[in-house]
Amino acid sequence: MRKSFYPLRTCFVLITATATPLSAFSEPPAGRLLAAQCAQCHGTDGSGYESLAGESADELYDELIERKYRPVEDIMDRQARGYTDDQLRLIADYLGSLPRASSSDD
Amino acid sequence: MTAFNRRQFLKLAGATSLVAAIPRSLSAATPLSNRVVIIGGGFAGATAAKYLKHWDNTIDVTLVEPNATHYACILSNLVITGAISMNRINLSYDGLRNRGVKIVQAMAAAIDPVGSKVGLSNGATLDYEHLILAPGIDFINPNPAGAERLYDPNLTPHAWKAGPQTTLLKNQLAAMPDGGVFVMNVPKAPYRCPPGPYERACIVAAYLKRKKRRSKIIVLDANPDIVAEPHTFGTAFSQTYAGTLEYHANVGITQVNSSLKTIDTTIGTLSADVLNMIPNQKAGQIVFDAGVVNDPTGRWATVDPLTYGSTVYENIYVIGDSQATAQPKSGHMANSQAKVCVDSIIRAFVGETPDPQPTTNSACFSPITETEASWLTAVYQYDPTTHSMKRVEDSFGEAAEPSSENYEHMFHWADNIFADSFR
Repeated sequence: MRKSFYPLRTCFVLITATATPLSAFSEPPAGRLLAAQCAQCHGTDGSGYESLAGESADELYDELIERKYRPVEDIMDRQARGYTDDQLRLIADYLGSLPRASSSDD
Repeated sequence: MTAFNRRQFLKLAGATSLVAAIPRSLSAATPLSNRVVIIGGGFAGATAAKYLKHWDNTIDVTLVEPNATHYACILSNLVITGAISMNRINLSYDGLRNRGVKIVQAMAAAIDPVGSKVGLSNGATLDYEHLILAPGIDFINPNPAGAERLYDPNLTPHAWKAGPQTTLLKNQLAAMPDGGVFVMNVPKAPYRCPPGPYERACIVAAYLKRKKRRSKIIVLDANPDIVAEPHTFGTAFSQTYAGTLEYHANVGITQVNSSLKTIDTTIGTLSADVLNMIPNQKAGQIVFDAGVVNDPTGRWATVDPLTYGSTVYENIYVIGDSQATAQPKSGHMANSQAKVCVDSIIRAFVGETPDPQPTTNSACFSPITETEASWLTAVYQYDPTTHSMKRVEDSFGEAAEPSSENYEHMFHWADNIFADSFR
């Protein structure tokens, strides 16, 4: 009984949304899920130890590309190789759009 | 209030399984809501709860967890040798409470997948629109039928779920006489935390070299070779801990006697002063109870890696150690999968299909000596042709050698993943 109900689920949710608005929420911003996978090491929304949030998108992208293509020196050079250049661009753009990190992790 | 007892739930689930595939959206009787119930407050469940609220705080999120706080397995090997305290790995649910997550301290006792209800050990019943199962692992008794009771984790701790088991193993190691033998095993893969047993072997060996120089540690690996970081651990075993650590690959365990601390294996019977038996593993019991354990091994739940939705029921998801994608079972991975899962649920609430190209990753630091650590990492990408998560080979690797810098990074990494999951 493999499920394949996305169209039905979509239909159901549209009804829900009309009847009882759940939130002002719309489709998640591009790059948010991708960038969330950086948070285990860099903090939620990039604002922990090794903070990323608020750096410019271009700076982040350049560093990711440099790490992806240079010989492996550390763990981040391996991580950067896991993504396409387009995905690295999305990650950099999303993190670059966030407010600059405060000293807390949140 | 006990609307359903366990047997009634299971009976109901069995009797109506034929209609389970009919989406409940077509049923006028079911009130529509945005309630998500999560069972299990480890790294998978906590991250799911946090990120649902973080990304859309109007979602009604309930986390069901029997323990008042969570003891992280991450760093827990360092508790065993006394390098850090239990408090260091004790994680509160207050951060999730402050985000508006309802924490229910209870066991999930039964699931009615058709009526979308969870029965709790305290007698209460919860309705859900989406149910996320994140109970972690359960253990398979290592002994043959009839001899199950000779194995007792209260005498021979696994310490593979952090908490009282960690303290028990720590105390046994501390009390072991100089000249004693510490025997541990590596379970058959897949098990929780691939580098974990090897890391423990190193840390215990380092402790023995410093505190009990006449003692030794024997490592019995059920697998044909070192499962994770073969260069790092191979070097540590053959050089750093030569004379203290004895490693045997491909060892089958046939019976454990916990009161005698003996273990029958394919290389003979060993007698231990401390026996750290880590049994083979399977999905948490509630995943079996929900009827979603359906992989070929009969131990894990098959899921759609775009959503972590079970292939049996549309609105039951399985994340973390209990699901059957071939991704490593680790706290970091559990956190990563939780984000993909809740992103798909949030999209579903607004009528969107899941992200078609999700990624997950794993990164971890392992202490190798009392001052040095290594790392291991990999990124996984969704492969639409096989409908599975595929490791990106260039992203997969271990540190060239352990270093004191990595030892320092290890604590920052742990603090960040603790916060990203629980606060």
